[in-house]
Amino acid sequence: MSKLFITACSTATRADVATARLGNRFGRMDLASQLALLTVEPLAEQLRAIPGHRIAIVLAARVGSLPTDVEYWKGRHAVGGLSPTLFTYTLPSAAIGEIAIRHGLTGPNLCFVGDSKDVLSEAVELLQTDAADGCVCVYTHVVSPDLTAMISLPETAQAGAIFLQRNGPGLMELGENRRDMESLCANLRAPKLTK
Amino acid sequence: MAIATTELKAQIIESLNLQDITPDQIEDDAPLFGAGLGLDSIDALELVVMLEKNYGIVIKDIEEGRPAFRSVRTLAEFIAARRSTS
Repeated sequence: MSKLFITACSTATRADVATARLGNRFGRMDLASQLALLTVEPLAEQLRAIPGHRIAIVLAARVGSLPTDVEYWKGRHAVGGLSPTLFTYTLPSAAIGEIAIRHGLTGPNLCFVGDSKDVLSEAVELLQTDAADGCVCVYTHVVSPDLTAMISLPETAQAGAIFLQRNGPGLMELGENRRDMESLCANLRAPKLTK
Repeated sequence: MAIATTELKAQIIESLNLQDITPDQIEDDAPLFGAGLGLDSIDALELVVMLEKNYGIVIKDIEEGRPAFRSVRTLAEFIAARRSTS
């Protein structure tokens, strides 16, 4: 078992989305994809050091695409039909596609609907089995106002990303007992997004 | 009745949620797809929805809309032609 290292880490919130400028396509994305893209953006330098086909992406979307699903349902009687763009984001894995397109990543990918507790373990598996040389680990947690009553969770919009790879030392070595991604992101004092 | 291309450009920007683009940055004859504005197939469907929503124009066959979606000018001409026959 080779050692693995966290070489970059970042977080993003709704406030970052409001001021972000990531190309003219950014505006059409759902909030979860926007947050995922923003939180991965500071990892770009580390991503460029590895060929895109050797970088995996593992995403955990806490509530899947539920905010977009609800929006889609509410708009089902709209004149002219529902927004085709909205439809494309009724997939929890949509954010993986956006990350892959922006950074040219074509390695394996995996999407969890739920919390992020298994993200780092799966990333480790991908690296230890030589399926990839680096893995972008992302969690998104978006609860829209429409959802708060439905699922009894407070409104929120946040995301975090970790880049895990064999080459270190980076920020820290990934230990056996430290695989809670969200607490790691919080503890690593993630660099704020720079515009 | 002719439609102002400036107005149409604003509607395109709004319906496609294009960021950092203003109507005066879009040339009347520049291709909407590919090298020009860089729109894609999802945007094409979104424009079809916009035409129905804003102008009551229904495009049932995408082949019918293909020449219209070449540029802002061809789209404006298409809208004007469909309005004159309705």
